[in-house]
Amino acid sequence: MPLFGSDFLKKLEYLSIVSRRVFRGSLLAQRRTMQFGSGIEFADHREYSAGDDLRYLDWNVYARHGELLLKRFQEEEDLHVYFLLDCSVSMGFGTPAKFDLARQLTAALAYIALADMDRISICAFADRVMTDFPLTRGKARILPLLGFLENLELAGSDTDLTMAAQEFARRKQRTGLVVLVSDLFSPSGFETGLDLLRHRRYEPHVIQLHDPKEARPDFLGDIELYDVENLSARKVTVTEKNLRTYRRLFDEHQQAVGTYCRNYSMGCTQATTEAKFDDLVLRMMRTAGAVE
Amino acid sequence: MSFAVPLALAWLAWAIPIVVFYILKVRLRQAPVSTTIFWRQIYDEKRPRSLWQHLRHLLSLLAQLLLLLLLVFALAEPFFTSEILQARRIVLVVDNSASMKATDVKPSRLEAAKAAGRDVISGLRFRDEMAIIAAGAQPRVVCGLSGHERTLRDSLAGIEPSDGPTQVAAAVELGRRLLADAKHGKVIVLSDGCFPESEKYATSETTEDDANNVELRTVGTRVGNVGLTNFQVRRSLSDPIGYEILSTVTNASDEEVKCRVEIDLNDNPVDVIPLTLTPGQTWSKTIEKTSVDGGRLIARVKHDDALPTDNSAVAILPKREMQHVVLVSEGNVFLQQALKANALVDLKVVNAIPEKYEAGTLYVFHRLTPEKLPSTAAMFIDPISGAGAWQVGEALENPIVTKQDTDSPLMRHVRLDNVLLPEAHKITPPPGAHALATAISGDPLFFSFEPEGRKTLVLTVNLDKGDLTFRTAFPIMVTNALGWFAGQSGDLRESLASGAVTEVDLPAATAAMPAASFALQSPAGQKKPLPPGVAKATIGPLDEVGVWQVVRAADETADAKKKKSAKEAGNAEPPVLELACNLSNNHETDLRVPEPLLKADVASLASTGWFTRPIWFYLIALATLFAAVEWYLYQRRWIS
Repeated sequence: MPLFGSDFLKKLEYLSIVSRRVFRGSLLAQRRTMQFGSGIEFADHREYSAGDDLRYLDWNVYARHGELLLKRFQEEEDLHVYFLLDCSVSMGFGTPAKFDLARQLTAALAYIALADMDRISICAFADRVMTDFPLTRGKARILPLLGFLENLELAGSDTDLTMAAQEFARRKQRTGLVVLVSDLFSPSGFETGLDLLRHRRYEPHVIQLHDPKEARPDFLGDIELYDVENLSARKVTVTEKNLRTYRRLFDEHQQAVGTYCRNYSMGCTQATTEAKFDDLVLRMMRTAGAVE
Repeated sequence: MSFAVPLALAWLAWAIPIVVFYILKVRLRQAPVSTTIFWRQIYDEKRPRSLWQHLRHLLSLLAQLLLLLLLVFALAEPFFTSEILQARRIVLVVDNSASMKATDVKPSRLEAAKAAGRDVISGLRFRDEMAIIAAGAQPRVVCGLSGHERTLRDSLAGIEPSDGPTQVAAAVELGRRLLADAKHGKVIVLSDGCFPESEKYATSETTEDDANNVELRTVGTRVGNVGLTNFQVRRSLSDPIGYEILSTVTNASDEEVKCRVEIDLNDNPVDVIPLTLTPGQTWSKTIEKTSVDGGRLIARVKHDDALPTDNSAVAILPKREMQHVVLVSEGNVFLQQALKANALVDLKVVNAIPEKYEAGTLYVFHRLTPEKLPSTAAMFIDPISGAGAWQVGEALENPIVTKQDTDSPLMRHVRLDNVLLPEAHKITPPPGAHALATAISGDPLFFSFEPEGRKTLVLTVNLDKGDLTFRTAFPIMVTNALGWFAGQSGDLRESLASGAVTEVDLPAATAAMPAASFALQSPAGQKKPLPPGVAKATIGPLDEVGVWQVVRAADETADAKKKKSAKEAGNAEPPVLELACNLSNNHETDLRVPEPLLKADVASLASTGWFTRPIWFYLIALATLFAAVEWYLYQRRWIS
């Protein structure tokens, strides 16, 4: 079954319509930038200083209060949306694989953004940035994008978000929304990479995916743990007590991701591979609407 | 140490695959995981315990090897040579006589003895053997020499109480024969000690190597008891309807006892005798009563004691049947009155010789003699002709009786030597006649003979002359004659003591009822067939008090079914013979355990300490322990 079949495209269109009707201006595109400029929407006043453009002087205020205040307007511009897609081998884990869901989510969100005339770019990473889909705009670019995603393969060894974020942030590009789609199973941790993006004035949004068997493994006894990322093996005796500890550590990791995102007002979506990508997108839309 | 099955040691070869599998280590199941960051946190924290984890695997291997070793050793059945050399043979003699039914020890002495027997069985070592003998009315091997505990326990439990006397001495002798020349043999007697030789066993020295070693363990207390130790009845020799009861009551206690003896005949009160018995007193009395009826005479001692078996006794009183007598005489008052005086005689007097003779009727011919002998029993007094059986000769004047058969029941209590007999007839008796009284000349004056089974008596004396009719001998002679004709030889049916063996006459075989179909029925109703085709059968020992019956055995033929249905309808066929059986044993009635036996300490019995099981049993136990250890280690790996 192809990853992006006709059914998938129908669902994309549906999601695009829903996003425009219900969450217009509140999801990705048409967002107000933090820059002040020549927009039409009033933002606030500031003291007039010499050399300011007199066209923006608020004469009404001057007539009423005798103060020279300059009107400021919020500048509207198209949004740059960057997708940081984890293509490490660990993303191939699960049934269905996390990577499949990650690609479907990326495609869906990218389609919505393209439909809103935003610019999108996809950056696949593992222990470093592996490959890119360059910045593009317009709905017509969806098919090359889907082709890119379809041809994307799992690569690299241990996930290193820090390295990938550093490489991504070093690029000369406009800041914008960074949608990180990953399982965040990075031995070096996820915080440093996200901190780096924040400090570079990107707005990260985390989509963390995991398989139920990762959360609740069901093997016991003498086994050989085989790490699919770095191909290392470890002979261990898994007891019920070990399993309980594992579950506790996993849950703590999940909570740590959520807590981190909340602390820095970042969007965060955590889901398992059992979830459908369209349901997940709708859930994200609802969450964004509620915030608004 | 040796092995009974050394070939089983070959199973040790299983150690090779165990070790090989341990060395090779079975390829572990691979569990692919997307990341090991969480697992590292878990196992890196526990690193200090990794030594224990490694050791745990080694311990597991050792536990498996030990488990195998123990199981294989158990299969090989190891034993010490000393086990065989020290193996004992024990004969357990359990007294199940009547006194063991006493309830002074709850629930009974026999049950207490069985409990002690179970202790002895528990104390048996591996390779010890035990036999069990019940020392009731007849010593019986309940279980032959065996080392199987369950068999011994079941056999011991199956010993039923009996009403017979103790046969401990015979049982011990039987036990000694079972022990044969066993080096470590021992006879353990479990009894209440209420038998004559008890103190001998109590004082016998016990040594381990003595094959004749006898230990006596007593159960019971010195409880008092009152019981009937004898109860007999017989018909009176002089009174046709009279009977005499002999009852003996013994107070086998250390205190004075007041009680009452009640005697019933067929549930009708006959006598009630209040008694006050001093300690150890034996009261005995003969009571005379009259009754035509026969049946079961039961005596009961009304006293609450620990042994009810001897509080009642039964005796069989033979029933008297009416005797039809026809006196054919022209008239003799003395003879007529002598016959009439017998309460059992239904007398009819005729003065002419009857043309027909009724079967079962006694015909007494006085001076009138038929031409030939009648077809039934007959008595001829002063016959004038020979009736075709004897010859009447010349008259004998003043014959003097010089010889008479005092052993004959016909001459019991009769003396004719000083009786004046002026006239008699000389008679030549038929061949086979038995002279009862003979004159000095050698001529028989009174003789009997039985032509073709018909009893016939001839008295040649002229009753009208002389003083015979005036003598007391005359009515006695008549009574004896009537008794002889009636065939009442069973005037005394002796009540047997329990444990007795007796011989009984069985009815002759007929076409309708073959002799083979007789059975002995116990008071509890259990039937045991008697040997077929015999006129006399030996029965016993009778180990149950009450009335034993010889009955016609039931079979499944149509005729038998007919009789069975008649029995169900209430027309039960009477028994052929009834035998009363009572305890009647002073030793069994005396429940007081002898003082020396009460003090004797033989509590050790056959106890041997802790290790009574075979070695393989302990090996299996240890193997179970190691299996538990291995299970624990296994669980530690899986569940922690």
